[in-house]
Amino acid sequence: MPRKQIFLLIALAAFIALPQLISVKYYLHLSILALIWVIMAQGQNLIQGYTGYVSIVQAGFMGIGAYSTALMGSHFGLPVTLTIILAPLVTAVFALATGYPSLRVKGHCFAIVTLAFNMVIFIVLLNFTALTNGEAGITGIPKPGYGRGAWIDFHDRQVYYYFVLIVAVAMTALAALIVRSRIGQILLAIRQNEDLVASVGVASWKYKLFAFVVSAMFAGLAGALYAHYQSFINPEIFSVAQSLDAILAVIIGGSGTLTGPVIGAFIVVFLPEYLRFADSFRLILYGLILVLATIFMPRGIVGLARDIASRLGAR
Amino acid sequence: MKIRALLGCSAATLMLVGGAHAAEKTLTIGVADALTGGAAVYGLPQANSVEMAADEINAAGGIAVGDDTYMLDVIVYDDKANPTEATNAVRKLIDRDGVRYILGFCCSGATGAVASFIEYEDAVMLVGNAAERSITTQGISNLVRTRPPADYTGAAAGAFVAKQGHKRIAVLGALETSFYASYVEAFEEEFKKSGGEVIAHEVFASKDRDMSPQLTKIREMQPDALLVVGYVEPAAFAYRQATELGMDVPRYGFTSGSEEQFLRVASSEQMEGVWDLRPTELTLQSTTDAGLAYHANYSERFGDAPSPSSPYAYDQAWALKHAIEAAGSVEDTEAVAAALRELEVFPEAVMQYLPVEGKMFDQNGQAYTANGAFQWQEGHWVFVEELPSDQEAYSRFLSTVN
Repeated sequence: MPRKQIFLLIALAAFIALPQLISVKYYLHLSILALIWVIMAQGQNLIQGYTGYVSIVQAGFMGIGAYSTALMGSHFGLPVTLTIILAPLVTAVFALATGYPSLRVKGHCFAIVTLAFNMVIFIVLLNFTALTNGEAGITGIPKPGYGRGAWIDFHDRQVYYYFVLIVAVAMTALAALIVRSRIGQILLAIRQNEDLVASVGVASWKYKLFAFVVSAMFAGLAGALYAHYQSFINPEIFSVAQSLDAILAVIIGGSGTLTGPVIGAFIVVFLPEYLRFADSFRLILYGLILVLATIFMPRGIVGLARDIASRLGAR
Repeated sequence: MKIRALLGCSAATLMLVGGAHAAEKTLTIGVADALTGGAAVYGLPQANSVEMAADEINAAGGIAVGDDTYMLDVIVYDDKANPTEATNAVRKLIDRDGVRYILGFCCSGATGAVASFIEYEDAVMLVGNAAERSITTQGISNLVRTRPPADYTGAAAGAFVAKQGHKRIAVLGALETSFYASYVEAFEEEFKKSGGEVIAHEVFASKDRDMSPQLTKIREMQPDALLVVGYVEPAAFAYRQATELGMDVPRYGFTSGSEEQFLRVASSEQMEGVWDLRPTELTLQSTTDAGLAYHANYSERFGDAPSPSSPYAYDQAWALKHAIEAAGSVEDTEAVAAALRELEVFPEAVMQYLPVEGKMFDQNGQAYTANGAFQWQEGHWVFVEELPSDQEAYSRFLSTVN
């Protein structure tokens, strides 16, 4: 069996065993959030890592997913499982509408346009109070399943952990499938030299739009899972700051790799919590670590690990 | 040698006898509040006041439960007024630190996030300054709040401003923040009853510092008065810039800022005549002996005057002490939560609570204070008069809200 597959199996086994190894439920809570972030970061990686377009709207799309699942449930009485499935589709519609004009520009301009979209989404969530309840947010968002005490009780954090783990693994597999397909190869080619791709007759805008919309769907799904886990959402958590965290998760973990976003997501969730001992210096320390990591590990942790492995192999 | 041995035996016997009568134990309580960021003006004084109350309770002999005496130990976490951070902080307090009683909560978004799951936890949540109405409309039995909802105060403020004879008022504020919006909504409803009209709803964000565009627009509309609602700092900028733009109309507000907080941004001359229409909270002219002592102790300990809303958290700690003693248990959180709802207003309370059916908290877990009209006069907030407030009627109304 190739070394890579052995590593993946060990990682999967570790994730499955994790709830049994954790004695403090608080860390299980953080692990659930981190797995939700894995889904979001895998989406971000598709557009940022593989296509080379830095999008700053991922948290906005996460918000659309979260609000759409909550509102579809409360307004139309749809079952939770169905609203979770529909949430990425609703997000995709918004992504299509925003991606088409955004992808007419490149580089920094694209980043700024998407940032503006995130701000628009945030403002709408905050001010369209008749629908979103504004800053007060939506409370009492139900969990999937058949309620408390059911055979599979999603109120049990361990159950929700495995539920999110299954979805995160499936979405990572989907991302791997996309990356290794012909579409993925074209996305990589766009990242390397978009003009060259266009010169051989490939309509690159279609592929970019595909990556952008799929990336948004990942975020929408992550938002839906977040909403049903926390049972509460308000606009605060879907601001630009969260989108920047999604970018950081990809960069720190390893841009353009499938393992990178997984590592990055866990770092983005766990690191600020572990730094709580530093009290008011926590955020300064967090920022400093991120800056140093970006400077000294431009290819992320995965890149660093590969470098070390190849050096050891050369010996 | 013999004497030393005798003394040793006597000391050991005394310790054993003492131990059999009253074991001194530690009860750890948690605080989740905004210690950094824009909301820290409310959160940090709340966290400070819980620590101060805990020390005072300990100095007064702790919490007596049966034969045991509990000394309070406080763990404080910063939630940055962010819902996810607040959830993480409270999960950490409950799951890792084993805390059953969580106090603080200055801000509505973060509080709402925690309120959404707290009823399923073996814990009691005591909410302070967070004014969003929905926090106490969900029937959460293990949650109480010391601050009245914003619309309870807004209605009283609307009636007061109408009584001053104003007919056209312009509103400038953090209207995207729901509890400020609900204050204005209730204000407007009462104001309209007297034939008044709100001619403008101009918005600023909590991070905005330049309100001159909104104020210029309002000035052109020639209102009779201006109503400013929002966090202390942006509100102070709004008052300052209104005078800089030459607006000579009465200025009313809803901010709950201390004199020190306002004077960091605006001069006393620029603040002269401004009204703050809010729960009576902590203002020296209107307070009781407990309030005066609180102000003096806080100022001495932290080197800064307490914010007017900070005693909401101080009172939480004392309410908890009395409830635990009434319940006779620190482990049985259900009994403590029930005892909180049966609690009468206690002498250590700094805020002037208006009881509902003789109890400090109504059946929704909501406490009420009187509302007051305060005016800035020569560098100080001066209590002018109490605003008409019917806590019994509001409590009945609150029970009907989903």
